[in-house]
Amino acid sequence: MAIFDVSGYKKYCELREQIFPAGLTHLVDRTNHYNFGTKTQEFAVPPGVDPSGFLKSCNHDGGVCIEMNHGTTTLAFKFKHGVIVAVDSRASAGNYLASKDANKVIEINSYLLGTMSGSAADCQHWERLLAKECRLYRLRNNHRISVAAASKLLSNMMLGYRGMGLSMGSMICGWDKQGPGLYYVDDNGTRLSGRMFSTGCGNSYAYGVVDSGYREDMTVEEAYELGRRGITHATHRDAYSGGVVNMYHMREDGWIKVCKDDVSELIHRYRKGMF
Amino acid sequence: MALQDICNFQSVFEDRLTTEYPAVPHGKKIASSYVSGLPFSNNKSLFHFYIPVAEYLDESPIQFGQISTVQNCSAVSSEDPFLTSSSLPTCLPFASSQSVPLPFPMAHGTTTLAFMFQGGVMAAADTRSSCSGLVACPASQKILPIHSHLVGLTSGTSADCALWKRILARELRLYQLRHGRRLSTSGAAKLLSHMLHPFKGTELCVAATLCGWDGGETGPGSRGETTKNQMTELFYVCSDGTRLRGMLFSVGSGSPYAYSILDQGVHWGLSVDEAKSIAREAVYRATYRDAYSGNCVDMYHITSKGWTRRNREDLKEEYYREKERRKHEKTERRDVTFSD
Repeated sequence: MAIFDVSGYKKYCELREQIFPAGLTHLVDRTNHYNFGTKTQEFAVPPGVDPSGFLKSCNHDGGVCIEMNHGTTTLAFKFKHGVIVAVDSRASAGNYLASKDANKVIEINSYLLGTMSGSAADCQHWERLLAKECRLYRLRNNHRISVAAASKLLSNMMLGYRGMGLSMGSMICGWDKQGPGLYYVDDNGTRLSGRMFSTGCGNSYAYGVVDSGYREDMTVEEAYELGRRGITHATHRDAYSGGVVNMYHMREDGWIKVCKDDVSELIHRYRKGMF
Repeated sequence: MALQDICNFQSVFEDRLTTEYPAVPHGKKIASSYVSGLPFSNNKSLFHFYIPVAEYLDESPIQFGQISTVQNCSAVSSEDPFLTSSSLPTCLPFASSQSVPLPFPMAHGTTTLAFMFQGGVMAAADTRSSCSGLVACPASQKILPIHSHLVGLTSGTSADCALWKRILARELRLYQLRHGRRLSTSGAAKLLSHMLHPFKGTELCVAATLCGWDGGETGPGSRGETTKNQMTELFYVCSDGTRLRGMLFSVGSGSPYAYSILDQGVHWGLSVDEAKSIAREAVYRATYRDAYSGNCVDMYHITSKGWTRRNREDLKEEYYREKERRKHEKTERRDVTFSD
């Protein structure tokens, strides 16, 4: 029937045979609220493949020379005038710097941003998929998706592939009817709402700076400065972060890109007496 | 043989020395003392490190989550002692034996930091001793004064650090008595590094930061640094052999959080009060985020007059003060609502 096609309803047994090998059927369900009307999972994992086992073998002992390590620093915090999102731009593969100008913020729509840390491939794919789902939601329901719902979608996608070796630590930031929103979503399926998050291997350095300088009633310029400082000090101490600071400011009428400053110049400004 | 007698080649496992050592300054004795098996000259007693017998630990009914070397040890037969292998006598058997499984998992969580500025050296540390999830002691002392002008910060296994600090203090005192002057911080760091070297590769874990003032004979500027015209020294010594001189160090699981605060604020021209507040803020931020650091903060300030200790301050108060401040800020804000 036509209504089945539009809503994506499928008989349970059809779905099961189509997607999953025998035994994992409990992961598939009919269209329900949590799937938001997506008809199928985007990937069919072929039977007999063990993704996490394959990933474990991709290390130096296995003779593979490119390491799938991933270093970054991203941070985001809410304050009186919205949400500040700041990321570095270094993409590393073990000791090799794949890019010094990687883009780690995905602009989902003019009211939603997603940051990426962890495996670059995983982040880029899943967040673009999230962008697609958000757009479809907008078309189907005639109003923008809320930040909570968008982060929930991403979290459910992660849960569908839990244990299979995905690596993604992302922050979904936006402004919806409830005001500014900030959620941290993990490859384990963790989804946390909070006032401030920092992800990546340089996150501890950023936490120190932002915790120390954060005040809720900061002005916009002070907040920009705090975001820059957090990333700069993290890139100074962490070998796997560097490049430039890409900073966005999420406001009531959408996000703006604030700056793209080189950290090697910023560190001279901030670290008095170092040189 | 006379040579064997002098070097004490065969008498390592005996309880007393048969020959007298020539009185040689400390540092030069290190090379020859390897042959004799004694790292320190002029000692009448050997180091007897208690080595628990393997079977006892294997058969313990309580499983503490032993580390994986237990498999190696269970393969060792009971007649095979730890003091087995080398014909080169080592009275430090750990250097060549199998690792002993630990009865409980050890963790090294702490935050210690030290930096140099125009007013001397500022050292600060938290006071939490953790044992992989258990706070073993909320009021331990991680900054141990070694003598009046030298202070050591410890990180790593607390037992190891306490022991090696006492050994270092003793050796420095002996040097002072023999030579009439204090050993410089650089020399003390070198001494500690050499003492720890035989244990490289074992589970000994000592990461010490030595902060000291070398005063007296050498005039100011003798090191060739005309701008930084004083004798404070800061060294980081680690049981894996690292020995680094620097202006700022932070060690421990909470050190990344502290580093960013210190990078922001530390420069040569700080006043003493500013240095104190930066050190305190850095430790506070580390304890705020790191689970293995916490409780109180200790601060020591080393100058030409020696070290002075600030009263131990409970960071709980600071945490509540900050919480009040944030609540106050939040109530002032009326217009925007958050979706927390």
